[in-house]
Amino acid sequence: MNEELDSQLSAMFDNELPAAECELLARRLSRDEELKARWGRYAAIGATIRAEGGPRLNAELARRVSIAISAEPADADVAAAPVSRASAFRWRTPFAGAAVAASVAAAAILWVRFQSSPQETVLISQTDAATGTPARQVSGPGVSPPGDASYVVPRTTARRSIVPSTQLASYVVAHSEFSSPVNRRTLLSAFITSEAGPAGAPAGSDEPTDDASDDAKSPQ
Amino acid sequence: MSADVSDLSLVRRVQRGDKGAFDALVLKYQHKLVKLVMRYVRNPAEAEDIAQEAFIKAYRALPQFRGDSAFYTWLYRIAINTAKNAVVSRDRSPIEYNIDRNDATEESYDMQGRMKDSETPEGLVLTDEIRTTVNAAIDALPEDLRTAIVLRELEGLSYEEIAAAMDCPVGTVRSRIFRAREAIDRRLREVFEGGLGRTEELG
Repeated sequence: MNEELDSQLSAMFDNELPAAECELLARRLSRDEELKARWGRYAAIGATIRAEGGPRLNAELARRVSIAISAEPADADVAAAPVSRASAFRWRTPFAGAAVAASVAAAAILWVRFQSSPQETVLISQTDAATGTPARQVSGPGVSPPGDASYVVPRTTARRSIVPSTQLASYVVAHSEFSSPVNRRTLLSAFITSEAGPAGAPAGSDEPTDDASDDAKSPQ
Repeated sequence: MSADVSDLSLVRRVQRGDKGAFDALVLKYQHKLVKLVMRYVRNPAEAEDIAQEAFIKAYRALPQFRGDSAFYTWLYRIAINTAKNAVVSRDRSPIEYNIDRNDATEESYDMQGRMKDSETPEGLVLTDEIRTTVNAAIDALPEDLRTAIVLRELEGLSYEEIAAAMDCPVGTVRSRIFRAREAIDRRLREVFEGGLGRTEELG
């Protein structure tokens, strides 16, 4: 055994070795069984001088503890696990928030596009062109007031086109020339009733909900 | 120099996952811990069990040890709490309750008289043999080596304090203490053939 090394070990046992040397020697001590045995004997010598020796001054207790902790997870694992979880959570948090926000935004965009798909837009344009009525002048329940630049014609408005009503009105006018006033009134009442039904339907039946309306009015 | 520098270097190694470093801490403090626990329980075997439990608790709690206090102070607190809990759970009366923090490092307590009643004959023989061998080895030391090792181990003086007392450089103190230990250790190994500090099964 190197005498200088033993001298360092003795000084380290007394906490009298410089920190830098302690680091190196501690590493060797933890791996070198012969050095560890010498370290244990230094402890036994001191215990004997102080008359504090137990019934067994060998390393029986140390051996039992060593066996017990061999089944324990290494302290590095115990200490590192919460830290790594915490640090992982710390750097993941902003990305997770951004991912959620992006997902919501993408879903909103897709929903709006689905609500105002090209087929619907074409249908509305064709309908409006056929009636000569500008889309923004269409009014009724569930429709935003005119002047809203982001206004989108609701899908149900296209289905409730006034084209059949115009034809019926022409038919009623033509028919009135050949029918009695009572028949004319009955036919007109039936016509008004057929027109008022779809136009006065509850907003929830086939109309966009308030929330969906808000989405529909969102900027494109 | 920090009073706990070597312990702290071992502690840091344990905290990095080096279990072998904890063996060194156990070897260093097992005797002190057993002596401390013997103030609470009469049976030496029970005292060793409690000391073992205290070491295991310390190992498990070591990730939270930040080095604000000395390792042995922290360890002794764990041992005292473990001993008190053991006494309470076993519904036994402790030998002494009036123990405070200073008692943890107090070396004046005479345990020998209490232990002799309950030690096994083999244990007594071994302890007596060790004591006889160490005392004989100390008596055979040159005066300067004997004074240095006694001031260190019995009085707990630092190297600087011993240097002042012996009127010599600190380096000389370090050399004298080392040579005293080597002389005693050589004698112990001759007598017990490696029975002391047996660590073949450690790690």
